[in-house]
Amino acid sequence: MSQKNTLTCREAARLLLEDEDHELPAADRLALQLHVRVCFACARFVAQLNLMRRATRAWRKHSEEADEEPQPE
Amino acid sequence: MTDFAIQVEGLRPHLMRFARAQLRNDAWAEDAVSECLLAALERPQAFAGQSQLKTWLIGILKHKLVDQLRRNTREATILVGEDGEDLFDDLFQADGHWREAPKDWGDPDAACCQKQFFEVLQACCEHLPPAQARVFMMREWLELESDEICSELAISPANLWVLLHRARMRLRDCLQARWFDKEAA
Repeated sequence: MSQKNTLTCREAARLLLEDEDHELPAADRLALQLHVRVCFACARFVAQLNLMRRATRAWRKHSEEADEEPQPE
Repeated sequence: MTDFAIQVEGLRPHLMRFARAQLRNDAWAEDAVSECLLAALERPQAFAGQSQLKTWLIGILKHKLVDQLRRNTREATILVGEDGEDLFDDLFQADGHWREAPKDWGDPDAACCQKQFFEVLQACCEHLPPAQARVFMMREWLELESDEICSELAISPANLWVLLHRARMRLRDCLQARWFDKEAA
């Protein structure tokens, strides 16, 4: 857990990726919040990760449920 | 064949596509689907009809896919080192700032519901190095928890994290190049 509450973008990006797979300690989440609010680049990175997560779910759902058109042999 | 068997067999192509997308190996996919169909035909009474047949079969198939992955994972452990470069070094300056700010990907709803986007996403997953692809699929498609993946593949949480982290960064680059840059063009 990092004690400081100012992150570099590199540190923020690493934590954001880590957050995709397990919940971060509160101190890290707080530091991220503070960073992302003032950093447009990292805010966009957050949006990209969100989009990838949503799209992957939608794709999976589509593959599980979609009735595929018959493939010509 | 009974009606049930005919219906089950009729879903084979669908199951094969699902299995191939996950395993990227036709022989393993074939095995997993055969095991799934066998299991279904042996226990038709387990299909209580509350869910769609397809959904029920996909549920069985997921377990068979995990079995296949477990059986064929010896290389996965070795492959942790397959992609040694730290992608972050290319992305960030020495002072920790982005070299180039991430691009604005626009409205997530626009991308999330398009079949063409799924095709690009699938192609990007297929281009991941094998170990990264495997853990990413286990996490995102089979919805396994991190500790399950670690025990299935006999890798440490730190290794898993490195693989997932790299997979996500590669997917991001791939989606940028194959979808968002083209869209903007």
